[in-house]
Amino acid sequence: MLFLNTTLDGLKMGLCFAIIALGVYISYSILDFPDLSVDSTFPLGGVCSTVLMLRAGFPAPIAILAAFPIGMAAGALTGFLHVKCKITKLLAGIITMTGLLSVNLALTQFLTKNGYTTSIFSYRSENLKGIFSYDFINGFSRQGQTLFRIGMLVLIVIAVKLLMDLFLRTKMGYMLKATGGNEQLVISLGHDSGTYKILGLALANGLVAMSGALYSQLYMSYDNTSGNGKVVLALASVIIGMAVFGGIKRVNGTTAVIFGAIIYSLCLNYLVLLDKNGIYLKLFNAVLFALILIFHDRIAAMFNRRHAKVMTTIDNEILEEKRRDA
Amino acid sequence: MLELQQIDKTFHRGTVNESCLFRGFSFSVPVGQFVSVVGSNGSGKTTMLNIIGGSMPIDAGKILLDGQDITHMPEYRRARRIGRVFQDPARGTVPQLTVEENLALAKNKGKPYRLGFALNRNDLASYTELLAQLGLGLEEKMQVPVGLLSGGQRQALSLLMTTMTDIDLLLLDEHTAALDPKTAEIIMQLTDRVVREKKLTAIMVTHNLRYAVEYGNRLVMMNKGGIVIDRTGAEKEALTVDDILDTFNAISIECGN
Repeated sequence: MLFLNTTLDGLKMGLCFAIIALGVYISYSILDFPDLSVDSTFPLGGVCSTVLMLRAGFPAPIAILAAFPIGMAAGALTGFLHVKCKITKLLAGIITMTGLLSVNLALTQFLTKNGYTTSIFSYRSENLKGIFSYDFINGFSRQGQTLFRIGMLVLIVIAVKLLMDLFLRTKMGYMLKATGGNEQLVISLGHDSGTYKILGLALANGLVAMSGALYSQLYMSYDNTSGNGKVVLALASVIIGMAVFGGIKRVNGTTAVIFGAIIYSLCLNYLVLLDKNGIYLKLFNAVLFALILIFHDRIAAMFNRRHAKVMTTIDNEILEEKRRDA
Repeated sequence: MLELQQIDKTFHRGTVNESCLFRGFSFSVPVGQFVSVVGSNGSGKTTMLNIIGGSMPIDAGKILLDGQDITHMPEYRRARRIGRVFQDPARGTVPQLTVEENLALAKNKGKPYRLGFALNRNDLASYTELLAQLGLGLEEKMQVPVGLLSGGQRQALSLLMTTMTDIDLLLLDEHTAALDPKTAEIIMQLTDRVVREKKLTAIMVTHNLRYAVEYGNRLVMMNKGGIVIDRTGAEKEALTVDDILDTFNAISIECGN
């Protein structure tokens, strides 16, 4: 029973985090931008949607959608710092991440005034009835409720994935891919590659914030520290997803990272079983990420030899090119 | 068409490595001219292309394109009228995207890149026809990521992509230097054909003196930020590799090469 519950919880968490992974797929895989602002845009989405629901009376689904443009603004700020102010990628992300911590805290105060809260840093209330809370599921067993929520998450994740796939097939989507693949070409086509970087980061963080909003409604709580480690989680999901599924012909990048997020969350949930007090969660996070970085090539080779062969051809090609240039 | 007026360019200004390349450098290219530029390393050939293309700012002077002052126009805005093929074949294409996807991106140049679908099945036939002319077998690799193609194939594709839409000026930056002799020859012939067919104005920087003599209708040799040989029309036609080789050697010895 414990194993079943852990699996279901892992699935639920993985599906929620799949949306962050889809965002980070844009910034990291497509744009080649390891964006650290994710750690703060995740709780930003959570606190904003919660405030909008409880203070401004927004319906729960609208509050989730509203997190998207808010996250976009934060992502655009990281992009602006990098593109216009020439700050390196990592530092631009760190600046946004750090600054947003205070923004999140300030927004949390809107929740504390009514005394719903356990502390200024987190908020938990039965009033936070989001899209996952319905009276009729109260009669279900614990597993039944979780399964119901997993079903809803599956639908949401599929919708986001399909929209993203559609976007990536547009001219704008292709310019985004070109910006990550060869910035010079975007310039040669008469466009400012910086604009596309800002756009990509905005979209990525919009998704991350939306995931944060989903998360707070899913667990009926908001926590300012919920963003900690989300960069690592998302990057790990993207990398493991691409390693395991990236070589399969009919599976595209977005599907691969969704399964990556699920695999990663399941692993994390099983590890947490060993740690009753939850002290070592972040350590597991870090170790798992390190293992993925060390072994992802071998994992990819194991899962798809043909994929591995293609990659070697590209590598040889590049080596050949370098030799010729020299 | 193109006019460089009194260009000054100093590298590493204000440091011990300060080196002045151009002082009062002027150069102009009339419409329809195909200029080959030769010169030893450090003579200023590539810097000149960078200045024209907009990837390098200048200290003083003016750049005019069709009478319009483009001195302070950013590179991406100039690129709408100036096409450029680089020495590194990887710089003209997106390696992760397929041949078809790269062509579709290039075809849309000059139009906005919004939310319309990028690929249009109806264009496929025209792409196949375009690539078949090259004789490099690219038409059968339409769905292959460009990163898997050879340098020559990629450079041919870059050249096609650059000249697919209307441009006023074509810059060729040692675009055959990274290729083997046979492929270089193919790319050179392709370049010549494209420039003739589209009646392009072009500036080609090359280290290959034979290409400089054989192709184009003007030859310029640069040295230390100045022009030492400049032949046009019949004078250029009469030029042989041996003629310019003497000057070239003299310059190189002077530089200690």
